[in-house]
Amino acid sequence: MLVLLSITIITLDATGRVQVLTSGVKSLASDVYTPLRSGVNGVLDPIGRFFAGAVDYGSLQRENQKLQAQIVTLEHQQAATAAAARQYSALERLLAINKLPALASLTAVVAEVTAQSVSNFAATVTIDKGRNEGVDLGDPVVGPGGLVGQVIFATHSTATVRLITDGQSKIGVAFGHQEEAILAGAGANRPLQVQDVPSTTPVSVGELLVTSGLQGAAFPPGIPVAKITSVHNVVGAADKQATARPLAELNGISYVEVLQWSGSS
Amino acid sequence: MSARAVVRTLVVIALALLLQMTVLLDIRVGGATPDVMFLLPIAAGLVGGPIEGAGVGFAAGIAADLLVPTPFGLSALVGTLVGFAVGAVSGGIVRDVRGFASLVALAASAIAVILYAVLGAVLGETQFLHVDLALVVTVVAVANGVLAGPAVKILRWAFASPSDRVPAGGRR
Repeated sequence: MLVLLSITIITLDATGRVQVLTSGVKSLASDVYTPLRSGVNGVLDPIGRFFAGAVDYGSLQRENQKLQAQIVTLEHQQAATAAAARQYSALERLLAINKLPALASLTAVVAEVTAQSVSNFAATVTIDKGRNEGVDLGDPVVGPGGLVGQVIFATHSTATVRLITDGQSKIGVAFGHQEEAILAGAGANRPLQVQDVPSTTPVSVGELLVTSGLQGAAFPPGIPVAKITSVHNVVGAADKQATARPLAELNGISYVEVLQWSGSS
Repeated sequence: MSARAVVRTLVVIALALLLQMTVLLDIRVGGATPDVMFLLPIAAGLVGGPIEGAGVGFAAGIAADLLVPTPFGLSALVGTLVGFAVGAVSGGIVRDVRGFASLVALAASAIAVILYAVLGAVLGETQFLHVDLALVVTVVAVANGVLAGPAVKILRWAFASPSDRVPAGGRR
């Protein structure tokens, strides 16, 4: 009976008949869970630091303790400086993308990444901004270097962003002299697949791919997305086989910008 | 299952979900994370049998589905099937082997991950088969094998009825 119930839920959700209900319940669950997660992380971090300090304390001589304390203080200062520098650098690179003409007129919401992929089967990140800050479904998300992905789920205070490497991600891109292609994700840490490139179209390794922004496209035009890393002509095939590497640093990304863009309809 | 056991089980599921989404989410081996939500139905099947395994699998799966961007109900379906299968199969096996729970958890977790990927692909999520499935299977199976002992003890506590208590000074 539970198997039948599960299949019924999957079917109803897939056909969209109860999607309003399921997304509402998901949103509620996420709103409840987010502060719990923050609380647990807030509790666990100091405990970890306390035990680390307690273990060191009992094993050192008085003189060594003073020296160790000084070293630890200096290390903490150094780590804090390095962390601040990294944070500054990340924000600086993030802000640099705003200078792109395509994005100059768009309102952007800066958000911090609070969690990496919550499933082994989806390349996503969770950010700390949601509907209350104007983040909505389908909003493009950019990061240091280029396009990061698209908002696929938003609660009042958080949102889930599908990364461009996710297997469900497909982006219309332009390159060269107004050539167009589809850039498809193939899973986290895997090269992007460049599809629909006719075998007669000239394309070379290192070529820049930007969003095409065609009528009805999910992204505004001109956002840098990836660079071509390999191109192969397959004998007898109509299209070339090509792969690309994302320009945005998707692994360990800490800050992103959500663009409030309603599409080019 | 008594009302008290149901409440305890729901608390265990809620805490496991919190553990999964906090501590375990930060443990990444080559990008793959452990998944204790598959461990709960396995432990429930071992402790209580097929009905309890299926019930816990469904509840844990629905709870997990609320927080992941994958088809809603898929984790519930896989949890139900795995919990039932573990309960049904392990019932007829001599359990006195050292590390029995860990071995079952290891094997059943591997099957659960593969089943999840295959059913996801059948539902149109073909990219599920394009992730590094061998890595995900290994990480989830090994982690659940290690955590199987504590999980079985926790589920045994959750399912226990007041009459199961050890009398003072006595042995069971």
